[in-house]
Amino acid sequence: MNGYILRRLLQLIPVLFGISLVVFLIMALLPGDPALAILGPYATPESLASLRNELGLEEPLWRRFFIWLGNVLQGDLGRSVALQRPVVEEIGERIGPTLLLAAAALALSVVLGLGAGVVAAAHRRRWQDQVLTFLVLLGISVPQFWLALLLILVFAVWLHWLPVSGMFSVYAGGGLIDLLQHLLLPAISLAVVATGVLARLSRGAMLEELSQDYVRMARAKGLTERQVLYKHAFLNMLGRMVPVIGLQAGFLLGGAVYIETVFQWPGMGRMLVDAISSRDLLLVQGGVLVLASAYVLVNLLADVLQHALDPRIRRR
Amino acid sequence: MNGTAIRAAWRSAGWSRFRGNRLALFGLSLVAVVMALALAAPTLPLADPYATNLSLRMLPAGSEDHLLGTDQLGRDLLSRLVWGTRTSLAIGLFAVSIAALLGTVIGLVAGYFRGWLDSVLMRGIDVLLAFPYLLLALAIVAALGPGLRNAMIAIAVVNVPFFARTVRGTVVGLAEREFIDAARLTGAGDGYILLRELLPNVLPVVVIMASTNLAWMILETAGLSFLGLGAQPPMADLGSMLGTGREFLTTVPRVAMLPGAVILIVAVGINLVGDGLRDLLDPRLKAEGGSQPALQAVDRDATRSRRQPDVLLRVVGLATHFPQEDGIYRAVDDVTFDVGAGERIAIVGESGCGKTVTALSLLGLVPQPGRIVSGCVLFESTDLLQQADEARRRLRGGRIAYIPQDPLTALNPVLPIGAQIVEVLRVHQGIDCKAARRRALELLEQVRIDRPRDRVNAYPHELSGGMRQRVLIAMALANDPALIIADEATTALDVTVQAQILNLLYALCEERDAALIFISHDLALVGQLCDRALVMYAGRVVEEGGIKRLLSSPAHPYTRGLLACAPELGRPEKALTPIAGQPPALNDLPLGCHFAPRCNHVQDNCRTGMIELRSIGERHRVRCIRAGELETWLR
Repeated sequence: MNGYILRRLLQLIPVLFGISLVVFLIMALLPGDPALAILGPYATPESLASLRNELGLEEPLWRRFFIWLGNVLQGDLGRSVALQRPVVEEIGERIGPTLLLAAAALALSVVLGLGAGVVAAAHRRRWQDQVLTFLVLLGISVPQFWLALLLILVFAVWLHWLPVSGMFSVYAGGGLIDLLQHLLLPAISLAVVATGVLARLSRGAMLEELSQDYVRMARAKGLTERQVLYKHAFLNMLGRMVPVIGLQAGFLLGGAVYIETVFQWPGMGRMLVDAISSRDLLLVQGGVLVLASAYVLVNLLADVLQHALDPRIRRR
Repeated sequence: MNGTAIRAAWRSAGWSRFRGNRLALFGLSLVAVVMALALAAPTLPLADPYATNLSLRMLPAGSEDHLLGTDQLGRDLLSRLVWGTRTSLAIGLFAVSIAALLGTVIGLVAGYFRGWLDSVLMRGIDVLLAFPYLLLALAIVAALGPGLRNAMIAIAVVNVPFFARTVRGTVVGLAEREFIDAARLTGAGDGYILLRELLPNVLPVVVIMASTNLAWMILETAGLSFLGLGAQPPMADLGSMLGTGREFLTTVPRVAMLPGAVILIVAVGINLVGDGLRDLLDPRLKAEGGSQPALQAVDRDATRSRRQPDVLLRVVGLATHFPQEDGIYRAVDDVTFDVGAGERIAIVGESGCGKTVTALSLLGLVPQPGRIVSGCVLFESTDLLQQADEARRRLRGGRIAYIPQDPLTALNPVLPIGAQIVEVLRVHQGIDCKAARRRALELLEQVRIDRPRDRVNAYPHELSGGMRQRVLIAMALANDPALIIADEATTALDVTVQAQILNLLYALCEERDAALIFISHDLALVGQLCDRALVMYAGRVVEEGGIKRLLSSPAHPYTRGLLACAPELGRPEKALTPIAGQPPALNDLPLGCHFAPRCNHVQDNCRTGMIELRSIGERHRVRCIRAGELETWLR
């Protein structure tokens, strides 16, 4: 088990290297002068020249990459021009809320998605299955940003049940209950797509498990239908679904961009949108790099978890 | 799935099956209507979507000249919705075409040339896939700058990896096929093979992927526009309409809600069509899993009066059919037999002859869409087919135990074997965990597993095949069954292990006075174990009798054929004669004797009417009209 984790950690190195290269190249190959793009049209020639020097723009591309990579490894992602502070500091403040939101949405989508998949598979072709299939279709077809607005309209504006936006109330806010109230609508909006995808895939996985010999054997042993479904088939389905759940984290981290914008959630998604609008390229670069690395780590975690869940892989 | 299979599916199933899918058809009409509206936008009697008039701001729906009212700049909302749909659809289609084109080229090249080119391309694709989908698009937009064209490029680029990967996979599968070699042998160049041989075969795959990804891509481009990174005002685009309308959410929700609803409708339509196409071309995805087994109540007949005390199981006229698209498969038809208490009988025949379906019918576990259409199964004087699900469940694993063919797949891979024995004890006896565990250890010992204490927590894959089969036998014995049904229980094992398992089964049945139905394709093998045998062919019993009698003087030509093609230990000189031909298709059984097409002794009246199982000696029955006469001259 430890050997496996070590091996996977080593395999991470080329992936992270590739990600850094892509992030670097996208920003480096953009048309025009990066210094001008970063400082904007009103920059003085002196500041442009000093930034060019700082970015090492006179150097060949490959050297620039390794200089940049060296800085990244030392925790230096550069300085945000628009915010006038180091990118790392800004990200440090923003990453917590995003991870909280994504984790809440992931938890929701796993519980609801797998639950829906199991129920649909167990009642295949009956009304439960048809209703769930219809809901799944809506879930994967709905624009999340629109759904977020709809939820705000209904639950915050019309019913006044939940706050419209933000992470804490301005007055007398700050408690856990306050946080959860603010978290609920964004987490639901963010979870919908992933729930749909997980429900669809887990229904398929469950049906496949139900057609296996060991399920027939479990029935031949006289086990109750509940034991057959929730003990035998579900355990196997779960092992299969763990990597898929890891992949959903990618959709959630991406979808956070919309949801944080709509709900004024102080996370990295909103930061990225603002940074793109203000052409704050180093902030974009740093943000994308950090989120992509987080995604890779989540998937590593999923693989390790699957490893732990499935004895066949575990002992190999 | 691969290209040729898909093309074949297009041809054979094609439109008629797609038409049969009501949901997909609904999606198609939805998409068609939306497309038609979008295409016809310039000719429709709509107001100018860009004509602003601040004095007419936010007119309510139903206003004169403005069916859905106006937006914050006094523009006609309906007109903007139609034009916006036009933009969103066009952008989505463009993006999907670019992604499909680039992805197909990369996939074809990587899959066809392989080697370093493949490695480089695919590692690059892997890195792109390591990014959260939307973030990569954002990075690209950040570099290129906001704008509809750039948003479209970004969405297209992040979708290229999906196409490239799938196409490459398909090509790798195809490149090893004969027709590619044939093309190479005729001297065709790489370009020719790629464009003329491979491309047409991957095209259907690409079309499916495009149709399933189109909705995503429309949603994501709309999302970028919503964030202000795609289409810029005043352009009529659903995403940016939603983004700018957001400010007025609390006062005039209509302005933001309607564009989103249109996106939802478009996406639902496209997804339905995509799903329909995928179901059509990749039947594996909608493969029938076995859910709750179905049993149909059947008509009773007069068999009850003939109950005998020493008969444990009496099967009368059992018929199990599988209705499919191409007809009814009569897997089991008119099967009648008895099993006495403690008696061991064998059911013998080729694969597909109905042995397993017979066993599953007895257990009430016929897989979908199979149905028991007639007959009755009397077990200890109650008709199993009449019983409620719950009562039948209690019998399974209790009074009637089952030993399956492949011990590896029959054991749950993620549970230790001990837990799998414990659960069968607990569900039937209601004993506590500790007692069940003790009993499980005893059972493992009884099936001669060494060091049961060490093995009880092992997972199935950690045991040898013979050991796994012993575990299944332990499970079958757990609740002292009166009847054990063993379905090819030794087929998956080595010959030496086979003999051990047979001996064990024999001894355990003897010891406990349990009856056994042993299903096998090997008549000689069951001779050591069983008292009587049924020979099945194409769903029917063709011969039944004492095992010695069947081995020494088989009456049915099929039984003789079975014996002739089985090797015998100690007789290496024996010539093995396989039975010529194939068993008949179960959905198209011949009239009269089912074996007639393969029989050497067939005559005209073999092919007419129903041939009955008739008695030709003590407890010896055969379904052959020539049985008596053949026996004499075949000796």
